[in-house]
Amino acid sequence: MNRKFTRLLTLLMVFAAHIVVAQQITITGRVTDDTGSALPGVSILIKGTNDGTHSDAEGRYVVSTRVGAELVFSFIGMKTVERVISANSNVLNISLETDATFLNEVLIVAYGDQEKKAIVGSVASLDSKTLEKQQITNVGQALQGTVPGVLVANSGGQPGSNPVIRIRGIASANASASPLIVVDGVPYNGSLNNISAEQIETMNVLKDASSTALYGSRGSNGVIIITTKRGKFNATPTITLSSTMGVSSPAVPLHKRVGTEDLFAYNWEALRNTDMYVNGNSAVNAGYNAANNIVSTFGYNPYNVPNPIFENGEMNPSRQLLWETDWEDLILRDQSVRQEHSLSVGGGSEKTKYFFSGNLLKQQGNVKTSELDRISTRLNVTSQITNWLELGMNNSLSLTESVAPNQDGSGYFGSTQNIYQMSPIYPVHRRDEQGNLILDSEGNPIYDFGIGSGLVNAVRPILAGDNIIGAFENYKSQTKTTNITTNAYLNVKFLKDFSFRTSFAYENFLTNGYNYASPEYGYAAANGGSIAQSRNIFTTVNFFNKLTYDKTFGSHSVTADAIFETYQGKNDTFSASANGFLPGVVVIGGRTNLTNIGGGIDEERLLSYLGRLSYNYGEKYFLEGSFRRDGSSRFAEDVRWGNFFSIGGSWIMSEEGFLNSIDQLSFLKLKTSYGELGNNRLGSYFPYLQLFETGWNEGGLSGVLVGATTDPKLLWEKTASFNVGAEFGLFNNRISGLIEYYNKESIDLIFSKPVSPSTGDRSVTTNIGALRNYGLEVTLNANVLKRDKFNWDAGVNLSFDRNEFTELSQKEIISGANKYTIGSSIYDFFIQEWAGVDPADGYGMWYMDVTDSNGNPTGERTTTKNYSDADRYYVGSALPKMIGGLNTNITYGNFDFNMLFSFSVGSKLYDWDYANLMSSVNVGENFHPDIAKRWQQPGDVTDVPILATQLPIPNANGTFTNRNVSFSSQSTRFLFDNNWLRLRAVTVGYTLPNTIAQKFYMKNLRVFLRGDNLLTFSSLKGGDPEQGIAGQSGLRSSILRTGSLGVNIQF
Amino acid sequence: MAMKKNIFKIAMTWFALVIMTGCADYLNEPKPTTSVDEGLIYSSREAAEAHLAGITRLSRAVYNSVSSANLSTIYCARSLKGNDFISIPGNAWYRSDYDYTDLFENGIRSWFTWVFMYDVIQQINVFINGVTNSETISSLDKTQLLGQARTWRAYCYFELSLEFNLTYQKDPEALAPPIYLEVTAEGKPMSTLNQIYNEVIIPDLQFAVDNLDETRLVKSFINVHVAEGLLARVYQVTGNWPLAEEMAHRAYGGFVNNALAASSYIDGFDDFTNTEWIWGMQNTTDQTASWYISPSTISDHVNGYYKSLFVNANFVNQFSATDVRNTFFEVNNVTDYRQYATTKFTFDFESDMVLMRTAEMILIEAEAMFRNNKAADAHNLLFALQYNRDPSAVKSSNTGDALMEEILLERRKELYLEFGVEWYDAKRLQRGITRDAKHSIIVNLVPNDPRFVVYVPLEELNSNPNIDESVNQRWQ
Repeated sequence: MNRKFTRLLTLLMVFAAHIVVAQQITITGRVTDDTGSALPGVSILIKGTNDGTHSDAEGRYVVSTRVGAELVFSFIGMKTVERVISANSNVLNISLETDATFLNEVLIVAYGDQEKKAIVGSVASLDSKTLEKQQITNVGQALQGTVPGVLVANSGGQPGSNPVIRIRGIASANASASPLIVVDGVPYNGSLNNISAEQIETMNVLKDASSTALYGSRGSNGVIIITTKRGKFNATPTITLSSTMGVSSPAVPLHKRVGTEDLFAYNWEALRNTDMYVNGNSAVNAGYNAANNIVSTFGYNPYNVPNPIFENGEMNPSRQLLWETDWEDLILRDQSVRQEHSLSVGGGSEKTKYFFSGNLLKQQGNVKTSELDRISTRLNVTSQITNWLELGMNNSLSLTESVAPNQDGSGYFGSTQNIYQMSPIYPVHRRDEQGNLILDSEGNPIYDFGIGSGLVNAVRPILAGDNIIGAFENYKSQTKTTNITTNAYLNVKFLKDFSFRTSFAYENFLTNGYNYASPEYGYAAANGGSIAQSRNIFTTVNFFNKLTYDKTFGSHSVTADAIFETYQGKNDTFSASANGFLPGVVVIGGRTNLTNIGGGIDEERLLSYLGRLSYNYGEKYFLEGSFRRDGSSRFAEDVRWGNFFSIGGSWIMSEEGFLNSIDQLSFLKLKTSYGELGNNRLGSYFPYLQLFETGWNEGGLSGVLVGATTDPKLLWEKTASFNVGAEFGLFNNRISGLIEYYNKESIDLIFSKPVSPSTGDRSVTTNIGALRNYGLEVTLNANVLKRDKFNWDAGVNLSFDRNEFTELSQKEIISGANKYTIGSSIYDFFIQEWAGVDPADGYGMWYMDVTDSNGNPTGERTTTKNYSDADRYYVGSALPKMIGGLNTNITYGNFDFNMLFSFSVGSKLYDWDYANLMSSVNVGENFHPDIAKRWQQPGDVTDVPILATQLPIPNANGTFTNRNVSFSSQSTRFLFDNNWLRLRAVTVGYTLPNTIAQKFYMKNLRVFLRGDNLLTFSSLKGGDPEQGIAGQSGLRSSILRTGSLGVNIQF
Repeated sequence: MAMKKNIFKIAMTWFALVIMTGCADYLNEPKPTTSVDEGLIYSSREAAEAHLAGITRLSRAVYNSVSSANLSTIYCARSLKGNDFISIPGNAWYRSDYDYTDLFENGIRSWFTWVFMYDVIQQINVFINGVTNSETISSLDKTQLLGQARTWRAYCYFELSLEFNLTYQKDPEALAPPIYLEVTAEGKPMSTLNQIYNEVIIPDLQFAVDNLDETRLVKSFINVHVAEGLLARVYQVTGNWPLAEEMAHRAYGGFVNNALAASSYIDGFDDFTNTEWIWGMQNTTDQTASWYISPSTISDHVNGYYKSLFVNANFVNQFSATDVRNTFFEVNNVTDYRQYATTKFTFDFESDMVLMRTAEMILIEAEAMFRNNKAADAHNLLFALQYNRDPSAVKSSNTGDALMEEILLERRKELYLEFGVEWYDAKRLQRGITRDAKHSIIVNLVPNDPRFVVYVPLEELNSNPNIDESVNQRWQ
């Protein structure tokens, strides 16, 4: 803190020309705000020195100085006041005015803090008030729609899962493109999910080169600086209790599915058509075969008759349905519970301030068993031992326990996969050939794992060997983490203009994984059950020393920092798995056989020298330059050092005389910066070494295999970044805003260059290619209405981000549904283009290029019914053209109301989930009700092709080959416009009038109702529009819609 | 102020100190712990054998899915392409191999077989380079190590040629998968079958046969008999019958009754110590391919898992009741494809995987004798095997083509579900495959049908400038 005072001091100082030798005087007084309430914790400094004090809880202070000295009273959010001490100034009461402009706000930036107006770079700030408006399980989500230039992509509904965060585009193709997280001045290497939003004072996002350059090698993707809450000097303890309780359900429903009868009808038709076209049978015979084969193809028969469907496709009228499993109902909770409780105590004496918080969170996900339990505590203490020495410590301990059933992607226990794939014809419990429940010796039903013996109701062709409902009961999978972070620092002031800070931070993340599968049921039953456990200890040590020189000469102010920093991260892993357990034995020690043991230690280090020089003239012109030199153990010795720098400047134009005449313009600042930063964050600790991996043992022999081919000269990825922007305030700052343009170019991309798989490698990680991101960000905030008891603020922010390759190792690189070429974006879809259904035969068609005699495309296109011949085209991007947020905040008397919307426009979503529901290849899987629009006879005009599993597909030379139908293969048939608007958060609160609160010995009491993700408007036909950054659905559960009631009490 | 000056001094000293101490070796200290460098691996024969052990383990690794995991899955897919075995409908594992819909450039069969085999080839080439250039391994040890490695390499190219081409004798000049004899990052153009067989497979195996002996560390490793057996298979494909006869004879030792142990046939084909096994992969509790052991994971209806494979009743009918190889039982009381299953392969996480057996070598020798105009010897040898398998066997009166057909039927009866014998023979002899009415999808292949061939995968076409889609358009 003292550093800040020093800076304020130098910024506000008028040069003292002479030293007055005068009498000593003791001054007492009281500091109040403009309403007369006491202001505790106000800094009172004797100008030109580091001596001073703070006001106490009643706003009182005592200070001794000489007559003629000046006292400087400063407090965040208040206008600073200076008073010259005269001989009769024994009592000096001061009233500080609220600083209406936000300009004197102090923001935490790289390795320190700065006044907002002195910032030359691009820094967006999110304070605790914004955080309080949402119920945040993962603080990363708070950035969605609130900070321009930040893309937050949620995927799946597991509570606490980390969203993908991208600041100003995607700066890296294969190295990490995630921002660096810094908590209380120290790079944080844990999961964001361990940090309770309630303990955060501010979250600042550093976007451009000048603000992030000091993080050099790790700053190229932007930096998120989280500052936790602190106490105040001379403040009586404030005890805050808060509690919210709510219920959650999926924010968006899943795609619809058809029922049993429709499944029979459609599959009968698919089998009949296949038989007709592939085996050449007549429609009648094929219908007969299909009716005969359908039950054996399903493997199951949910009806009481052996032939539920006739050869003409009619259902057997004497059928009775024995079961129709609603997998969604069985897999998802009706509603899940969320509760969060916290207790915090903050305050301070004259020399020491403290903040303690304990937070308890319990949130269930919408899939059964899914849950996150978290306890997080934090203690921050700062002590001003003498006027030149400050020391402090920030500590946090958090414990999480999560059960995370698969909600994102495929797998036997993929919850969404089971809902979408397992049709209602498959029973939860075992049935005999007649369809009767098979009971165990105690008369209970037995879960059906689909690997029984028998003609029917025994062998399931879908997800055989498991049963997700049985898995909920018979398997257990949980992760426990213990997260400790601690940071001790010492701040020394000396020689008037110098200060020195040394800080030592240690993190320890212990992750325990535990997976149990029953010896009696399911996939591990054959081996007597299995347990797999893992224990990872990830520790980091960050040590930095900073020397600061801060001086003002007349209108010139200079601040210089020299920093030396080391970082060390160590990942110590251990895992073991075993099988052969007695029923009821759930610890690994009870094993019969050890099946695997693994483990190793990986370590990385970083050594850095940093310097920063800031200069301002008359608080109008600001210049700042920084330099960082980093050595990283991830690169070979001769290429491991990288130099990074930035330079930036700003000009507060509104301070100039020629603008004074414009009354409406209260503030105008222009700023620009340029810099070059680096990225060394790859998946591998030693990406430059060609090594032999151990662990490929054969019998009793140790075995090794040579690892992937590497580039021994692999080096830093570099990002050059340019920023220009204007901040303005109009009508006495009732309207304020910010417009910024950026252009970032990442060169020497750490890139997985594809190589031919026949070489034995599939890619080589090397420095090749360049990627450009550029965009525009606009923020506008307004105080719409201000009346006596009524206040209405509203804000909007918009980001327009573009991404393109500017250099590549080869002409084009195909990566899944994307293709990289110069000028294309990393998430541009490059897929087959659907040309509809041929009304003559019901075949789906795609476009292909017409080629000339040399095989070159002529530019014309034609259609093909052979998917292998279809050409691929650029058909849109998964990245939105515009993202943004809207927020509005209304207070009326003791009531407050706010809403936060986030939205995304102009992206495309590839819906694999829907594609699978529209596929007729796999008999027994679910269908979407849209399948009703299928082609059935010549002349049908529809977009849904003929139902079949296989068809004769024409080759270019006129022959036919039987192939699985490809109608649901990747094509624009399943690519949809994805525009959405989400009511991210809405809160209504009521604060008890002070007079009443005080009767109950409370300082403050507020009750509120809060809803998250209550409304989603989307251009999709179903499913959650938020499907990760690549814009492809992947069997994910929806994010949660939560409604809750909360109370916040301060004592 | 004196005190503050002292603080200044202390602070500056501290600052200087930490900067100094930081520099020296701070960044050099982290070292990999779970991997070792090349210098160590090729410093001694024992260390180099660790790489061979790794390659052996890789061959039974879990690559992708139940039907695309390791060597056993390539063989199982072939086993389902004939008339003798039937897959259940729906999306059962291997169903798309059974109905010939997973042949194409975007399919998993194409991708897996290609990527897997070339991964092993890369390991071998690194090994060969490392051993050849080692200054500390003796030249005797080098030839033995290189013999094993070159056998592996020949094996991979042989399997590639079987999968991605019609048979050698159809057109030796046909384009074949690219040849890599050393490590490179550059994708190479297609070779020809002639080059693959006569410049790689045969010289590699000949080197091994000339330099290896019977010793080996474990049975999953390669010794001279494995090399001989592979060379016998290769000559069986190229039609060099004198050498096929010689190599097969050497591979099983030449004494039928020593080479066979009929009683072991019913032990579940899950133990590589079986004396009839020349080469096999072992699975142990702590090193298991788990569910990814084919065919037992789909064929074993008693202990098995997916139970998706049935035996064609018409194939069952070829066996006498006293034949030890009659492992079939009526699993369902119906007469359609769901009637019979086999107990030949027992499923377990510790089930070993068979790669080569003496009985196959005896039958190659018998076939070669027949082709070498030694029909009587061939018939005697065939009957020796038949009698070993079935004490009530009676020697047939077949001669000429009928005897040849008898040998081929005996191959199916002896080797079923091991490496796709029915498909392998139909392909190399340029015959078709005809499915009978027991099948739900009737796919009949004519001789040299393009459906005998798997396409070069899309990933290779996309990333190799020297191979384009015309290599696959040959098959349309």
